[in-house]
Amino acid sequence: MKTGSLRRVFSLVAVVALLLSACSKKSTTSAASSPPDTNGTLNLAYLADMSVPDPDVFYDIEGNTVILSAYEGLVDYKPDTVTIEPKLATSWDIAPDGLTYTFHLRSGVTFQDGTPFNAAAVKASFQRRISVNSAPAYMLAQVADMQTPDPMTFVVKLRSVVTPFMDYMASSWGPKIMSPKALTDNAGSDFAQTWAKTNADGTGPFKLTAFNRGQNYTLTRNDSYWGPKPNFATVNIRIIPDMNSQILQLKSGGLDVILHSFPIAELPTAKADPNLAIKDFSSYLQSLLYFNTSKAPFNDLALRKAVAGDIDRDTLVNQIYGTYAHPAGSPYAPGILGQSLAPIAYPTSTVKAPAGAPAITFAYTSDESGIQSRLAGLIQQKLQGQGFQVTLKEVTNPQVYGYASTPQTLAQAPDILLMTNTPDAAHPDTWARILWGTGGGLNFLGYTNPQVDTLLNQGAASTDKAASDQAYGKAGRLLVVDYGILFLADTRDVMVMRKNLTNVEHVPNYPWALRLGTLARS
Amino acid sequence: MLKLILTRLAALAVILLALSAIVFALEALIPADPVRAMVGASATKEAVAAKRHELGFDQPLPVQYVRFLGRALGGNLSQSLHTRRPVMTDLRAFLPATLELAGAAAIIAAVLGGFLGIVTARGKGTAPRLLMLAGASAPPFLLALALLMLFYAKWHVLPSSGRLSANLTPPGGPTGLLVVDGLLHGRFDVVSDALWHVALPAFCLALGPAVALGRTLRSSLQSVLTQDHIRTARAKGLKERTVLLRHALRSSLNAPLTMGGLQVGLLLAGVVVIESVFAWPGVGLYTVQSISSTDFPAVAGVTLILGALYVVINALVDVAQVIADPRLRAA
Repeated sequence: MKTGSLRRVFSLVAVVALLLSACSKKSTTSAASSPPDTNGTLNLAYLADMSVPDPDVFYDIEGNTVILSAYEGLVDYKPDTVTIEPKLATSWDIAPDGLTYTFHLRSGVTFQDGTPFNAAAVKASFQRRISVNSAPAYMLAQVADMQTPDPMTFVVKLRSVVTPFMDYMASSWGPKIMSPKALTDNAGSDFAQTWAKTNADGTGPFKLTAFNRGQNYTLTRNDSYWGPKPNFATVNIRIIPDMNSQILQLKSGGLDVILHSFPIAELPTAKADPNLAIKDFSSYLQSLLYFNTSKAPFNDLALRKAVAGDIDRDTLVNQIYGTYAHPAGSPYAPGILGQSLAPIAYPTSTVKAPAGAPAITFAYTSDESGIQSRLAGLIQQKLQGQGFQVTLKEVTNPQVYGYASTPQTLAQAPDILLMTNTPDAAHPDTWARILWGTGGGLNFLGYTNPQVDTLLNQGAASTDKAASDQAYGKAGRLLVVDYGILFLADTRDVMVMRKNLTNVEHVPNYPWALRLGTLARS
Repeated sequence: MLKLILTRLAALAVILLALSAIVFALEALIPADPVRAMVGASATKEAVAAKRHELGFDQPLPVQYVRFLGRALGGNLSQSLHTRRPVMTDLRAFLPATLELAGAAAIIAAVLGGFLGIVTARGKGTAPRLLMLAGASAPPFLLALALLMLFYAKWHVLPSSGRLSANLTPPGGPTGLLVVDGLLHGRFDVVSDALWHVALPAFCLALGPAVALGRTLRSSLQSVLTQDHIRTARAKGLKERTVLLRHALRSSLNAPLTMGGLQVGLLLAGVVVIESVFAWPGVGLYTVQSISSTDFPAVAGVTLILGALYVVINALVDVAQVIADPRLRAA
């Protein structure tokens, strides 16, 4: 009897095993028939879905590669520099009053749907950005008039001087030119925003041929591209939210590059892997420590200064980042403004918590690389060693954006905030105004200094570059000695990739992105 | 039976109301500004205010809540702040993947749990029991990574992530469950590829519940096997397997079924981790993305859907218990 019942159980197991083996038989053949593609497909991963591939709405960092591959602007930054180079405009003139910009457009360019590129298309795209009026629309807020005197000339007139205007044109979030036909055909009642949530139609080297939210985005080579043809026929960007899973696939050849947030602790292992290469590029990403100057204890300048002197930036940065960052030399990342115009020299001092000092809340935004939490932990230890009572708190970006909404929220906001940020373009105004100008979008703990605001306005209104830079420099120097924000580090944009990738080009202003149009595999 | 179903439906309404109230209370407790984050650092105060008004975030929270309920009753779950499309559209895209994964996991858990319970109830199967216990006590992400290292990176027999190979196009409806749709459309390449993809994540998800089910079934079987009717059955000279499967198993199912219902909750919580590791485009992955961008409408939508799913499945378990054990019908 016993053997009979056992036989029944075993037969059940056998059926399950048979089913599984049917699957695995399929798997072996399938795995054998689809080995890692060595010539045609570039495999990338995002940790999260991008918001939308709509250049007039998109305002994040994850997703840069899609936007910059499908679309192009009038100008671009040269790799590794802040030099603006021609793209869809071959040359441009700026009137002496700084209000009129004339762009001479590239001929022989077509959109991915075959529509010819011309001045009318540029005008339609600029107009769309203004009409959609989403996050990046501010770059065109001063546009008074747009003209197309001939099919290959586009003229923009501004209401007032916008010193970073050309940098806006080159920014990854700057105006991109969309196919006027696609915009008309899909206009709907929202300027084709519904269409642009999952589609793209620009002049870039790749077409967006699939946008499967939560799964993958497919970029296919644009064979009618006006410039050098891309080497890869297809770029497959998969959404892989788990970094360990990404690393496993990179090591096995299922991924070609991990574009960002590679765990700093894993870098030595990656270095030792003969198939992998670690590449670090100059970027404008800065690691920042904000003080909440609206309340005790950090409404006291002397205390802020003492903390700045005590945290020992050099050791801290070296300990956390190794060679992938260095202590910030200026509130402006190198390349944005001459470092000598606003140098940082924090004192060396020790701080003692004042008697009866309130407990401090220390917030930081987390990242997959583990850098932010380690940095926050070390600073916490340091402050606790000096008698402060410090509570660490991990927060999300939208929470941070809520801190300075009203005086009440600011009073409840953390005392210290650690974040890493990057400017919209390689121009001091795109950094200083939002970071430490009163009411600025990245001025999360509500720093305010009327003198600084006046200088920033002077800088923005001046058509004389030297005078403008001087004003921005002075605003930076004022902030440095006021210790409203501590500038911890200028960090590198670190990517880990398969060693056989060549022609790797990176623009400092486009974090987490490579130029896919030039990238190749040897 | 009708009374049972009606009670469960009433409970469903109350639970969903409570869940949505909790999500909105959380929104009030977390002083975040998702609208500011959405429109960007350089937007003017007017632009932020306009967007806030457009999305209704300028209204007092109770008003927002009542409006949310009103819309939800009409099947509209507001617009996601991150994906910028209706949450309902997002859920329609993400939910089938989760249902397929959870369904596969439930089947594996039932088979493994049943096997484990039956074998160990008779004092056998120590080795598989220990092995499964070890697997189930490992943190799910660790187990998932370890299995990925073996089956994907080392032996190349299973895929690393996703639901379907890139060279295959999904059959396109009607259920969104690739295996079912594949069968309906006669696309057996899709069916086998989908099964190949779901095997590892579903196994990782199923292991914990399988062990829990197995242990419950085992103790339940052991106590039933000592009862009089079993002794009578044996005395009649019935084969041991007949005694076990026909006489003991059915009356032992009550506790495992209850445990199964409870495990569904764990299964739904587990998908968050497992979907992240395996890049499985389901509700778990959607939730992770929504939480990190403080996308309240999306989080509220997911909470409602998963809450409803949990309640419905537990109601089904109640019904199954009544069917399995006629004694409950009188009660």
